[in-house]
Amino acid sequence: MATRRLIYPIYQLGNPQLRIFRPNWALTLVRPGREQPKDTVQFRVPMEMTKCDVRNYLEKIYNVPVAAVRTRIQFGSNKKRNHLNQKVKEPDYKVAYVQLAQGQTFTFPDIFPEKKLTPAEGSMEEMQEKFMEDEKQRQKPDPRRGGVTEWFGL
Amino acid sequence: MAARTRLPLQSLLHKNLPSFRNQRIVHTEAAVQEPAYPPVVPSLTAKSKSARRRQIEEHLEKVRAADVQDKLSLLTRIQRKKYVVVPQTFARNADRWYQHFTKTSYIPGLPEKFTVSEETEKDSALPAAAAATENASTVIGDDVFADIRSLVTHAILQEHWYMEKRKPFLFREQEQVMGPFLRNLVTGLTNSLAKHNPLLRLSSIDLKPQVNFYWMRGQRIIPKGHRRGRQEPIRFQIDDKPHSQIRITQQLPQFTTLEASYAAEVPQIKLAPDLMPLFKRQYDNNIFTGAKLPDPACYGHTQFHLVPDRYRRDVMARRQQTDQVEVFLRANGLASLFAWTAAQAMYQGFWSSEDVSRPFVSQAVITDGQFFSFFCYQLNTLALSVETDADNPRKNLFWGTQSLRLYEAVQDGAVVGLNDRVLKLLVQFLMNKP
Repeated sequence: MATRRLIYPIYQLGNPQLRIFRPNWALTLVRPGREQPKDTVQFRVPMEMTKCDVRNYLEKIYNVPVAAVRTRIQFGSNKKRNHLNQKVKEPDYKVAYVQLAQGQTFTFPDIFPEKKLTPAEGSMEEMQEKFMEDEKQRQKPDPRRGGVTEWFGL
Repeated sequence: MAARTRLPLQSLLHKNLPSFRNQRIVHTEAAVQEPAYPPVVPSLTAKSKSARRRQIEEHLEKVRAADVQDKLSLLTRIQRKKYVVVPQTFARNADRWYQHFTKTSYIPGLPEKFTVSEETEKDSALPAAAAATENASTVIGDDVFADIRSLVTHAILQEHWYMEKRKPFLFREQEQVMGPFLRNLVTGLTNSLAKHNPLLRLSSIDLKPQVNFYWMRGQRIIPKGHRRGRQEPIRFQIDDKPHSQIRITQQLPQFTTLEASYAAEVPQIKLAPDLMPLFKRQYDNNIFTGAKLPDPACYGHTQFHLVPDRYRRDVMARRQQTDQVEVFLRANGLASLFAWTAAQAMYQGFWSSEDVSRPFVSQAVITDGQFFSFFCYQLNTLALSVETDADNPRKNLFWGTQSLRLYEAVQDGAVVGLNDRVLKLLVQFLMNKP
Protein backbone atom coordinates (compact mmCIF):
# COMPACT_ATOMS: atom_id res chain seq x y z
CA MET A 1 0.00 0.00 0.00
CA ALA A 2 2.85 2.35 0.84
CA THR A 3 3.71 4.57 -2.09
CA ARG A 4 6.38 7.18 -2.47
CA ARG A 5 3.86 9.95 -2.10
CA LEU A 6 3.13 9.26 1.58
CA ILE A 7 3.27 12.26 3.90
CA TYR A 8 5.17 11.24 7.00
CA PRO A 9 4.05 12.82 10.30
CA ILE A 10 5.95 15.94 11.30
CA TYR A 11 8.18 15.35 14.31
CA GLN A 12 7.17 17.10 17.54
CA LEU A 13 9.08 17.01 20.80
CA GLY A 14 8.19 13.86 22.68
CA ASN A 15 7.19 11.87 19.61
CA PRO A 16 8.79 8.51 19.17
CA GLN A 17 11.44 8.24 16.52
CA LEU A 18 10.07 7.80 13.02
CA ARG A 19 10.64 4.24 11.89
CA ILE A 20 10.09 3.19 8.32
CA PHE A 21 10.04 -0.57 8.06
CA ARG A 22 9.45 -1.24 4.40
CA PRO A 23 10.44 1.83 2.41
CA ASN A 24 9.17 1.96 -1.11
CA TRP A 25 12.18 3.87 -2.26
CA ALA A 26 14.60 2.69 -4.93
CA LEU A 27 18.09 4.09 -5.24
CA THR A 28 19.86 4.22 -8.59
CA LEU A 29 23.64 4.05 -8.72
CA VAL A 30 24.80 6.25 -11.58
CA ARG A 31 28.10 6.93 -13.25
CA PRO A 32 29.23 10.43 -12.19
CA GLY A 33 29.18 13.02 -14.95
CA ARG A 34 32.25 14.71 -13.49
CA GLU A 35 35.06 12.70 -11.97
CA GLN A 36 34.56 12.18 -8.24
CA PRO A 37 37.07 11.21 -5.54
CA LYS A 38 37.63 7.49 -5.08
CA ASP A 39 35.47 7.17 -1.96
CA THR A 40 32.44 8.96 -3.41
CA VAL A 41 29.49 7.09 -4.92
CA GLN A 42 26.74 8.91 -6.81
CA PHE A 43 23.07 7.91 -6.53
CA ARG A 44 19.78 9.19 -7.90
CA VAL A 45 17.37 9.07 -5.00
CA PRO A 46 13.65 9.84 -4.73
CA MET A 47 12.82 13.44 -3.86
CA GLU A 48 11.25 12.52 -0.56
CA MET A 49 14.44 11.02 0.86
CA THR A 50 16.66 13.06 3.13
CA LYS A 51 20.36 12.64 3.89
CA CYS A 52 19.55 10.66 7.03
CA ASP A 53 17.18 8.45 5.05
CA VAL A 54 19.87 7.70 2.46
CA ARG A 55 22.37 6.88 5.17
CA ASN A 56 20.02 4.59 7.07
CA TYR A 57 18.86 2.94 3.85
CA LEU A 58 22.38 2.03 2.78
CA GLU A 59 23.57 1.04 6.22
CA LYS A 60 20.60 -1.04 7.33
CA ILE A 61 19.56 -2.70 4.09
CA TYR A 62 22.82 -3.04 2.21
CA ASN A 63 25.38 -2.92 5.07
CA VAL A 64 27.36 -0.23 3.30
CA PRO A 65 29.38 1.88 5.77
CA VAL A 66 28.47 5.48 5.06
CA ALA A 67 30.59 8.35 6.32
CA ALA A 68 28.87 11.37 4.79
CA VAL A 69 25.97 12.11 2.46
CA ARG A 70 25.43 15.31 0.50
CA THR A 71 22.35 15.85 -1.64
CA ARG A 72 21.20 18.26 -4.28
CA ILE A 73 18.13 18.57 -6.44
CA GLN A 74 18.69 18.65 -10.18
CA PHE A 75 16.19 20.76 -12.06
CA GLY A 76 14.89 19.00 -15.18
CA SER A 77 14.64 21.41 -18.08
CA ASN A 78 11.32 22.91 -19.11
CA LYS A 79 12.65 24.40 -22.30
CA LYS A 80 12.04 21.68 -24.88
CA ARG A 81 8.91 21.84 -26.93
CA ASN A 82 7.02 19.05 -28.62
CA HIS A 83 5.49 18.98 -32.08
CA LEU A 84 2.54 21.00 -30.77
CA ASN A 85 4.88 23.70 -29.51
CA GLN A 86 3.95 22.88 -25.91
CA LYS A 87 6.61 23.00 -23.29
CA VAL A 88 7.75 19.57 -22.19
CA LYS A 89 9.10 19.24 -18.67
CA GLU A 90 11.82 16.73 -17.91
CA PRO A 91 11.34 15.43 -14.36
CA ASP A 92 13.42 16.80 -11.50
CA TYR A 93 15.48 14.36 -9.50
CA LYS A 94 17.59 14.32 -6.37
CA VAL A 95 21.27 13.32 -6.51
CA ALA A 96 23.09 12.01 -3.43
CA TYR A 97 26.87 11.91 -3.13
CA VAL A 98 27.78 9.26 -0.57
CA GLN A 99 31.26 9.12 0.94
CA LEU A 100 32.17 5.66 2.14
CA ALA A 101 33.66 5.05 5.57
CA GLN A 102 36.62 2.87 6.64
CA GLY A 103 38.72 3.93 3.68
CA GLN A 104 36.65 1.99 1.16
CA THR A 105 36.71 3.03 -2.50
CA PHE A 106 34.39 2.46 -5.40
CA THR A 107 34.77 2.95 -9.15
CA PHE A 108 31.79 2.72 -11.44
CA PRO A 109 32.27 -0.39 -13.59
CA ASP A 110 32.35 -0.37 -17.38
CA ILE A 111 28.91 -1.75 -18.26
CA PHE A 112 29.32 -1.66 -22.05
CA PRO A 113 32.78 -3.01 -22.82
CA GLU A 114 33.98 -2.98 -26.41
CA LYS A 115 33.53 -6.39 -27.98
CA LYS A 116 35.50 -7.45 -31.05
CA LEU A 117 33.27 -9.82 -33.01
CA THR A 118 35.54 -12.51 -34.39
CA PRO A 119 33.51 -15.36 -35.89
CA ALA A 120 34.39 -18.95 -34.95
CA GLU A 121 36.90 -20.82 -37.11
CA GLY A 122 35.57 -22.71 -40.17
CA SER A 123 32.05 -21.32 -39.88
CA MET A 124 29.86 -19.69 -42.52
CA GLU A 125 30.31 -16.22 -41.04
CA GLU A 126 34.06 -16.40 -41.29
CA MET A 127 33.93 -17.44 -44.98
CA GLN A 128 31.42 -14.68 -45.71
CA GLU A 129 33.62 -12.07 -44.01
CA LYS A 130 36.64 -13.22 -45.97
CA PHE A 131 34.66 -13.06 -49.20
CA MET A 132 33.44 -9.52 -48.39
CA GLU A 133 36.98 -8.41 -47.58
CA ASP A 134 38.30 -9.81 -50.90
CA GLU A 135 35.52 -8.03 -52.80
CA LYS A 136 36.36 -4.71 -51.12
CA GLN A 137 40.02 -5.23 -51.96
CA ARG A 138 39.13 -5.82 -55.60
CA GLN A 139 37.08 -2.60 -55.75
CA LYS A 140 39.92 -0.44 -54.47
CA PRO A 141 41.85 1.52 -57.11
CA ASP A 142 45.45 0.79 -57.99
CA PRO A 143 47.61 2.09 -55.12
CA ARG A 144 50.42 2.85 -57.57
CA ARG A 145 48.33 5.68 -59.04
CA GLY A 146 48.62 7.59 -55.74
CA GLY A 147 44.95 8.47 -55.33
CA VAL A 148 44.49 9.86 -58.84
CA THR A 149 41.20 8.64 -60.38
CA GLU A 150 40.98 6.47 -63.47
CA TRP A 151 39.27 9.23 -65.45
CA PHE A 152 42.66 10.65 -66.26
CA GLY A 153 44.90 8.66 -68.50
CA LEU A 154 44.49 6.44 -71.39
CA MET B 1 85.44 80.64 -69.40
CA ALA B 2 83.70 77.31 -69.85
CA ALA B 3 86.77 75.53 -68.49
CA ARG B 4 86.65 77.63 -65.35
CA THR B 5 83.01 76.84 -64.63
CA ARG B 6 83.51 73.13 -65.08
CA LEU B 7 83.68 71.53 -61.73
CA PRO B 8 86.40 68.97 -61.16
CA LEU B 9 85.05 65.46 -61.87
CA GLN B 10 86.56 63.90 -58.74
CA SER B 11 84.75 66.20 -56.37
CA LEU B 12 81.47 65.38 -58.07
CA LEU B 13 82.00 61.65 -57.97
CA HIS B 14 83.44 61.29 -54.46
CA LYS B 15 81.74 63.95 -52.39
CA ASN B 16 82.68 62.39 -49.09
CA LEU B 17 86.43 62.13 -49.66
CA PRO B 18 88.53 64.12 -47.19
CA SER B 19 89.94 67.34 -48.67
CA PHE B 20 93.50 66.32 -47.90
CA ARG B 21 93.93 63.11 -49.78
CA ASN B 22 97.22 62.33 -48.15
CA GLN B 23 95.75 62.09 -44.74
CA ARG B 24 95.13 58.44 -43.99
CA ILE B 25 92.25 57.45 -41.80
CA VAL B 26 94.14 56.12 -38.81
CA HIS B 27 92.60 53.27 -36.89
CA THR B 28 90.47 54.70 -34.02
CA GLU B 29 88.14 53.14 -31.53
CA ALA B 30 84.57 52.93 -32.64
CA ALA B 31 82.84 55.80 -30.95
CA VAL B 32 80.31 54.56 -28.39
CA GLN B 33 77.03 55.80 -29.65
CA GLU B 34 74.11 56.54 -27.38
CA PRO B 35 71.02 54.79 -28.79
CA ALA B 36 69.23 57.40 -30.71
CA TYR B 37 65.78 55.75 -30.20
CA PRO B 38 64.13 54.20 -27.09
CA PRO B 39 64.11 50.32 -26.83
CA VAL B 40 61.59 48.45 -28.97
CA VAL B 41 59.05 46.90 -26.56
CA PRO B 42 55.53 45.70 -27.13
CA SER B 43 52.79 48.24 -26.66
CA LEU B 44 51.15 48.69 -23.28
CA THR B 45 47.60 49.45 -24.35
CA ALA B 46 47.10 47.36 -27.49
CA LYS B 47 44.67 44.44 -27.55
CA SER B 48 47.38 41.81 -28.08
CA LYS B 49 49.00 39.00 -26.16
CA SER B 50 52.37 40.75 -26.01
CA ALA B 51 50.71 43.87 -24.64
CA ARG B 52 49.03 41.79 -21.95
CA ARG B 53 52.34 40.16 -21.10
CA ARG B 54 53.96 43.56 -20.79
CA GLN B 55 51.14 44.82 -18.55
CA ILE B 56 51.61 41.85 -16.25
CA GLU B 57 55.37 42.34 -16.25
CA GLU B 58 54.99 46.02 -15.38
CA HIS B 59 52.61 45.16 -12.56
CA LEU B 60 55.09 42.63 -11.15
CA GLU B 61 57.88 45.21 -11.34
CA LYS B 62 55.68 47.69 -9.54
CA VAL B 63 54.97 45.20 -6.75
CA ARG B 64 58.66 44.31 -6.47
CA ALA B 65 59.63 47.95 -6.16
CA ALA B 66 57.03 48.80 -3.51
CA ASP B 67 57.57 48.60 0.24
CA VAL B 68 55.92 45.90 2.33
CA GLN B 69 52.68 47.68 3.20
CA ASP B 70 52.10 48.65 -0.43
CA LYS B 71 53.07 45.17 -1.60
CA LEU B 72 50.41 43.63 0.59
CA SER B 73 47.76 46.04 -0.55
CA LEU B 74 48.68 45.62 -4.25
CA LEU B 75 48.54 41.82 -3.99
CA THR B 76 45.25 41.73 -2.10
CA ARG B 77 43.56 44.58 -3.93
CA ILE B 78 41.39 42.80 -6.47
CA GLN B 79 38.49 40.79 -5.06
CA ARG B 80 37.36 37.67 -6.88
CA LYS B 81 35.61 34.45 -5.95
CA LYS B 82 37.93 32.30 -3.85
CA TYR B 83 37.82 29.06 -1.92
CA VAL B 84 37.52 29.60 1.83
CA VAL B 85 39.78 27.02 3.45
CA VAL B 86 38.55 26.28 6.95
CA PRO B 87 41.24 24.82 9.27
CA GLN B 88 38.68 23.04 11.47
CA THR B 89 36.72 21.32 8.77
CA PHE B 90 34.13 18.57 8.67
CA ALA B 91 35.38 17.34 5.28
CA ARG B 92 36.86 13.85 5.18
CA ASN B 93 40.54 13.30 4.36
CA ALA B 94 41.01 17.05 4.47
CA ASP B 95 44.70 16.77 5.32
CA ARG B 96 45.58 15.33 1.89
CA TRP B 97 43.68 18.08 0.12
CA TYR B 98 45.29 20.78 2.25
CA GLN B 99 48.72 19.33 1.60
CA HIS B 100 48.05 19.71 -2.12
CA PHE B 101 46.78 23.29 -1.77
CA THR B 102 49.81 24.42 0.24
CA LYS B 103 52.52 22.19 -1.34
CA THR B 104 53.33 20.64 2.03
CA SER B 105 54.74 17.26 2.78
CA TYR B 106 53.68 15.50 5.98
CA ILE B 107 56.37 13.80 8.09
CA PRO B 108 55.05 11.75 11.02
CA GLY B 109 56.78 12.43 14.32
CA LEU B 110 58.66 15.55 15.28
CA PRO B 111 61.92 17.00 13.88
CA GLU B 112 65.24 15.74 15.29
CA LYS B 113 65.47 18.72 17.62
CA PHE B 114 62.63 17.42 19.77
CA THR B 115 63.18 13.70 19.47
CA VAL B 116 66.91 13.86 20.35
CA SER B 117 66.41 16.03 23.41
CA GLU B 118 63.61 13.69 24.45
CA GLU B 119 66.11 10.82 24.51
CA THR B 120 68.71 12.83 26.38
CA GLU B 121 66.16 13.73 29.03
CA LYS B 122 65.13 10.11 29.36
CA ASP B 123 68.69 9.13 30.33
CA SER B 124 68.56 11.54 33.20
CA ALA B 125 71.52 9.86 34.87
CA LEU B 126 73.89 11.26 32.22
CA PRO B 127 74.40 14.96 32.64
CA ALA B 128 75.28 16.86 29.48
CA ALA B 129 74.73 13.81 27.27
CA ALA B 130 77.22 14.08 24.38
CA ALA B 131 76.21 15.79 21.15
CA ALA B 132 73.52 18.41 20.65
CA THR B 133 74.71 21.54 22.33
CA GLU B 134 71.62 23.33 21.18
CA ASN B 135 69.45 20.69 22.80
CA ALA B 136 71.17 21.26 26.10
CA SER B 137 69.57 24.67 26.26
CA THR B 138 66.08 23.15 26.19
CA VAL B 139 66.82 20.89 29.12
CA ILE B 140 65.73 22.51 32.34
CA GLY B 141 66.42 21.44 35.87
CA ASP B 142 64.25 19.00 37.82
CA ASP B 143 63.05 21.58 40.33
CA VAL B 144 61.81 23.83 37.54
CA PHE B 145 60.10 20.81 36.03
CA ALA B 146 58.42 20.12 39.35
CA ASP B 147 57.15 23.71 39.37
CA ILE B 148 55.78 23.29 35.87
CA ARG B 149 54.10 20.08 36.92
CA SER B 150 52.37 21.67 39.88
CA LEU B 151 51.30 24.57 37.69
CA VAL B 152 49.71 22.22 35.18
CA THR B 153 48.06 20.17 37.94
CA HIS B 154 46.56 23.30 39.46
CA ALA B 155 45.32 24.46 36.07
CA ILE B 156 43.57 21.13 35.53
CA LEU B 157 42.13 21.02 39.03
CA GLN B 158 40.95 24.64 38.83
CA GLU B 159 38.49 23.86 36.08
CA HIS B 160 37.54 20.35 37.10
CA TRP B 161 37.67 20.39 40.89
CA TYR B 162 38.22 23.69 42.68
CA MET B 163 35.69 25.76 40.82
CA GLU B 164 32.08 24.87 41.42
CA LYS B 165 30.32 24.83 38.11
CA ARG B 166 26.98 23.93 36.80
CA LYS B 167 26.84 21.33 34.10
CA PRO B 168 28.11 23.14 30.99
CA PHE B 169 25.57 24.18 28.42
CA LEU B 170 24.91 21.60 25.72
CA PHE B 171 27.85 21.35 23.30
CA ARG B 172 29.60 24.26 24.92
CA GLU B 173 31.83 22.29 27.24
CA GLN B 174 34.96 23.00 25.27
CA GLU B 175 34.61 26.76 25.23
CA GLN B 176 33.37 26.96 28.83
CA VAL B 177 35.67 24.48 30.55
CA MET B 178 38.66 23.63 28.36
CA GLY B 179 39.07 27.15 26.99
CA PRO B 180 39.85 28.75 30.35
CA PHE B 181 42.03 25.77 31.30
CA LEU B 182 44.15 26.17 28.16
CA ARG B 183 44.36 29.91 28.71
CA ASN B 184 45.64 29.42 32.25
CA LEU B 185 48.06 26.79 31.04
CA VAL B 186 49.51 28.93 28.28
CA THR B 187 49.88 32.09 30.31
CA GLY B 188 51.20 30.25 33.35
CA LEU B 189 53.74 28.21 31.41
CA THR B 190 54.96 31.22 29.42
CA ASN B 191 55.41 33.31 32.53
CA SER B 192 57.26 30.64 34.46
CA LEU B 193 59.51 29.69 31.54
CA ALA B 194 60.32 33.31 30.76
CA LYS B 195 63.09 33.11 33.36
CA HIS B 196 64.82 30.45 31.30
CA ASN B 197 63.97 31.55 27.79
CA PRO B 198 64.87 35.20 27.12
CA LEU B 199 62.75 35.16 23.97
CA LEU B 200 59.59 34.77 25.99
CA ARG B 201 60.34 37.86 28.00
CA LEU B 202 59.85 40.03 24.93
CA SER B 203 57.03 37.99 23.48
CA SER B 204 53.36 38.84 23.07
CA ILE B 205 50.63 36.40 23.93
CA ASP B 206 47.48 36.96 21.87
CA LEU B 207 44.18 35.54 23.04
CA LYS B 208 41.74 34.64 20.27
CA PRO B 209 43.76 36.44 17.57
CA GLN B 210 42.82 36.61 13.92
CA VAL B 211 45.15 34.97 11.43
CA ASN B 212 44.43 35.36 7.71
CA PHE B 213 46.22 34.43 4.53
CA TYR B 214 45.38 34.71 0.84
CA TRP B 215 47.18 32.84 -1.94
CA MET B 216 46.78 31.42 -5.43
CA ARG B 217 47.60 27.88 -6.48
CA GLY B 218 46.86 26.03 -9.69
CA GLN B 219 44.72 27.02 -12.63
CA ARG B 220 41.30 26.17 -13.94
CA ILE B 221 39.46 26.80 -17.18
CA ILE B 222 36.51 29.14 -16.73
CA PRO B 223 33.48 27.06 -17.76
CA LYS B 224 30.92 29.77 -18.41
CA GLY B 225 30.62 33.48 -18.88
CA HIS B 226 32.22 36.08 -21.09
CA ARG B 227 35.67 34.78 -20.10
CA ARG B 228 34.83 31.19 -20.98
CA GLY B 229 37.70 28.94 -22.05
CA ARG B 230 40.41 31.10 -20.52
CA GLN B 231 42.77 30.07 -17.74
CA GLU B 232 42.19 31.50 -14.28
CA PRO B 233 44.27 31.00 -11.11
CA ILE B 234 42.50 29.28 -8.21
CA ARG B 235 42.42 31.53 -5.16
CA PHE B 236 42.29 30.45 -1.52
CA GLN B 237 41.77 32.26 1.75
CA ILE B 238 42.28 31.01 5.31
CA ASP B 239 40.56 32.87 8.15
CA ASP B 240 41.63 31.29 11.39
CA LYS B 241 40.97 32.10 15.04
CA PRO B 242 43.38 30.08 17.18
CA HIS B 243 42.75 29.92 20.89
CA SER B 244 46.01 31.73 21.65
CA GLN B 245 49.42 32.34 20.16
CA ILE B 246 52.86 33.55 21.17
CA ARG B 247 54.65 36.01 18.91
CA ILE B 248 58.35 36.78 19.33
CA THR B 249 60.85 39.37 18.13
CA GLN B 250 63.43 37.01 16.66
CA GLN B 251 62.97 34.24 14.16
CA LEU B 252 63.16 30.61 15.27
CA PRO B 253 65.95 28.54 13.68
CA GLN B 254 65.08 26.14 10.87
CA PHE B 255 64.43 22.47 11.56
CA THR B 256 66.10 21.22 8.36
CA THR B 257 67.85 22.84 5.40
CA LEU B 258 65.98 24.03 2.34
CA GLU B 259 67.68 21.38 0.20
CA ALA B 260 66.42 18.59 2.43
CA SER B 261 62.87 19.40 1.32
CA TYR B 262 63.59 18.69 -2.36
CA ALA B 263 63.12 14.96 -1.83
CA ALA B 264 59.82 15.27 0.04
CA GLU B 265 56.59 14.11 -1.58
CA VAL B 266 53.47 16.18 -1.85
CA PRO B 267 50.17 14.43 -2.78
CA GLN B 268 48.84 15.65 -6.13
CA ILE B 269 45.07 15.84 -6.50
CA LYS B 270 43.79 16.50 -10.00
CA LEU B 271 40.16 17.08 -8.97
CA ALA B 272 38.63 20.47 -8.28
CA PRO B 273 38.50 21.57 -4.62
CA ASP B 274 34.67 21.68 -4.81
CA LEU B 275 34.60 17.91 -4.43
CA MET B 276 36.18 18.11 -0.99
CA PRO B 277 33.64 19.94 -0.30
CA LEU B 278 35.06 23.44 -0.33
CA PHE B 279 33.01 26.53 -0.99
CA LYS B 280 33.67 29.79 -2.78
CA ARG B 281 32.96 33.30 -1.63
CA GLN B 282 34.10 36.77 -2.52
CA TYR B 283 35.13 39.22 0.17
CA ASP B 284 38.18 41.10 1.46
CA ASN B 285 41.51 39.41 0.85
CA ASN B 286 43.32 39.60 4.18
CA ILE B 287 46.88 38.75 5.15
CA PHE B 288 47.35 39.09 8.88
CA THR B 289 49.60 37.39 11.45
CA GLY B 290 47.73 38.54 14.53
CA ALA B 291 49.37 41.94 14.82
CA LYS B 292 49.75 44.80 12.38
CA LEU B 293 52.84 45.32 10.28
CA PRO B 294 54.91 47.73 12.45
CA ASP B 295 54.68 45.42 15.49
CA PRO B 296 58.22 44.35 16.59
CA ALA B 297 57.04 40.86 17.56
CA CYS B 298 56.46 39.87 13.95
CA TYR B 299 57.73 36.31 14.05
CA GLY B 300 55.69 33.42 15.35
CA HIS B 301 56.58 30.98 18.09
CA THR B 302 53.68 28.74 19.10
CA GLN B 303 49.96 28.59 18.44
CA PHE B 304 47.46 26.83 20.65
CA HIS B 305 44.22 25.49 19.23
CA LEU B 306 41.19 24.11 20.98
CA VAL B 307 39.19 21.33 19.38
CA PRO B 308 35.54 22.45 19.17
CA ASP B 309 32.71 20.38 20.63
CA ARG B 310 31.69 19.07 17.25
CA TYR B 311 35.02 17.32 16.74
CA ARG B 312 35.52 15.89 20.22
CA ARG B 313 36.43 12.23 20.39
CA ASP B 314 33.18 11.01 21.92
CA VAL B 315 31.07 12.96 19.45
CA MET B 316 33.05 11.59 16.52
CA ALA B 317 32.77 8.08 17.94
CA ARG B 318 29.00 8.45 18.07
CA ARG B 319 29.06 9.29 14.37
CA GLN B 320 31.44 6.35 13.71
CA GLN B 321 34.19 8.66 12.51
CA THR B 322 36.99 7.77 14.91
CA ASP B 323 39.49 7.46 12.09
CA GLN B 324 38.86 11.09 11.15
CA VAL B 325 39.91 12.44 14.57
CA GLU B 326 43.61 12.38 13.74
CA VAL B 327 42.93 13.57 10.21
CA PHE B 328 41.04 16.56 11.59
CA LEU B 329 43.90 17.48 13.92
CA ARG B 330 46.44 17.22 11.12
CA ALA B 331 44.33 19.32 8.76
CA ASN B 332 43.82 21.93 11.45
CA GLY B 333 47.52 22.10 12.29
CA LEU B 334 48.55 22.25 8.66
CA ALA B 335 46.14 24.96 7.58
CA SER B 336 46.61 27.16 10.64
CA LEU B 337 50.39 26.92 10.66
CA PHE B 338 50.68 27.47 6.93
CA ALA B 339 48.54 30.60 7.16
CA TRP B 340 50.50 31.98 10.12
CA THR B 341 53.97 31.21 8.78
CA ALA B 342 53.20 32.43 5.30
CA ALA B 343 51.70 35.65 6.69
CA GLN B 344 54.91 36.16 8.69
CA ALA B 345 56.93 35.69 5.51
CA MET B 346 54.77 38.20 3.64
CA TYR B 347 55.28 40.71 6.45
CA GLN B 348 58.99 40.44 5.70
CA GLY B 349 58.37 41.30 2.05
CA PHE B 350 58.48 37.85 0.46
CA TRP B 351 55.74 36.80 -1.90
CA SER B 352 55.02 34.50 -4.80
CA SER B 353 57.55 36.02 -7.22
CA GLU B 354 60.10 36.85 -4.53
CA ASP B 355 60.49 33.56 -2.77
CA VAL B 356 61.70 33.28 0.83
CA SER B 357 65.47 33.40 1.22
CA ARG B 358 65.40 31.63 4.60
CA PRO B 359 62.93 29.08 5.96
CA PHE B 360 60.23 30.36 8.31
CA VAL B 361 59.28 28.13 11.21
CA SER B 362 56.38 27.85 13.65
CA GLN B 363 54.90 25.39 16.11
CA ALA B 364 51.41 24.50 17.24
CA VAL B 365 49.74 22.51 19.97
CA ILE B 366 46.19 21.31 19.35
CA THR B 367 44.22 19.98 22.27
CA ASP B 368 40.75 19.13 23.41
CA GLY B 369 41.64 19.48 27.08
CA GLN B 370 42.91 15.96 27.64
CA PHE B 371 44.65 14.91 24.43
CA PHE B 372 47.54 16.99 23.13
CA SER B 373 49.04 16.90 19.63
CA PHE B 374 52.19 18.73 18.67
CA PHE B 375 52.91 20.11 15.21
CA CYS B 376 55.83 21.88 13.58
CA TYR B 377 55.84 23.68 10.25
CA GLN B 378 58.69 24.90 8.08
CA LEU B 379 57.84 27.20 5.20
CA ASN B 380 60.45 26.78 2.45
CA THR B 381 58.58 28.28 -0.43
CA LEU B 382 55.85 30.84 -1.05
CA ALA B 383 55.94 30.38 -4.82
CA LEU B 384 52.72 28.41 -5.19
CA SER B 385 51.14 29.98 -8.29
CA VAL B 386 51.46 28.25 -11.68
CA GLU B 387 54.14 30.51 -13.18
CA THR B 388 56.38 30.54 -10.13
CA ASP B 389 55.93 26.85 -9.26
CA ALA B 390 56.98 25.58 -12.71
CA ASP B 391 60.53 24.66 -11.70
CA ASN B 392 60.46 25.08 -7.97
CA PRO B 393 61.89 22.01 -6.24
CA ARG B 394 61.26 23.31 -2.73
CA LYS B 395 58.44 21.95 -0.64
CA ASN B 396 57.04 23.00 2.70
CA LEU B 397 57.43 20.56 5.57
CA PHE B 398 54.96 19.63 8.27
CA TRP B 399 55.71 17.43 11.27
CA GLY B 400 53.03 16.10 13.61
CA THR B 401 52.49 13.62 16.41
CA GLN B 402 49.55 11.46 17.25
CA SER B 403 47.40 12.78 20.08
CA LEU B 404 48.87 12.00 23.49
CA ARG B 405 46.93 11.94 26.73
CA LEU B 406 48.03 14.51 29.28
CA TYR B 407 46.22 13.00 32.26
CA GLU B 408 43.94 10.05 32.85
CA ALA B 409 41.30 11.49 35.14
CA VAL B 410 40.65 13.86 38.02
CA GLN B 411 39.72 12.06 41.22
CA ASP B 412 39.17 13.52 44.71
CA GLY B 413 41.18 16.64 44.14
CA ALA B 414 44.13 14.91 42.48
CA VAL B 415 45.15 14.43 38.90
CA VAL B 416 45.64 10.76 38.09
CA GLY B 417 48.19 9.64 35.51
CA LEU B 418 49.88 12.89 34.56
CA ASN B 419 52.01 12.10 31.50
CA ASP B 420 55.52 13.49 31.87
CA ARG B 421 56.39 13.02 28.22
CA VAL B 422 53.66 15.38 27.12
CA LEU B 423 54.77 17.95 29.69
CA LYS B 424 58.35 17.63 28.49
CA LEU B 425 57.30 18.17 24.91
CA LEU B 426 55.28 21.22 25.92
CA VAL B 427 58.25 22.62 27.78
CA GLN B 428 60.58 21.96 24.86
CA PHE B 429 58.19 23.66 22.49
CA LEU B 430 58.05 26.76 24.64
CA MET B 431 61.78 26.76 25.30
CA ASN B 432 62.60 26.68 21.60
CA LYS B 433 64.90 29.60 20.79
CA PRO B 434 67.63 30.47 18.28
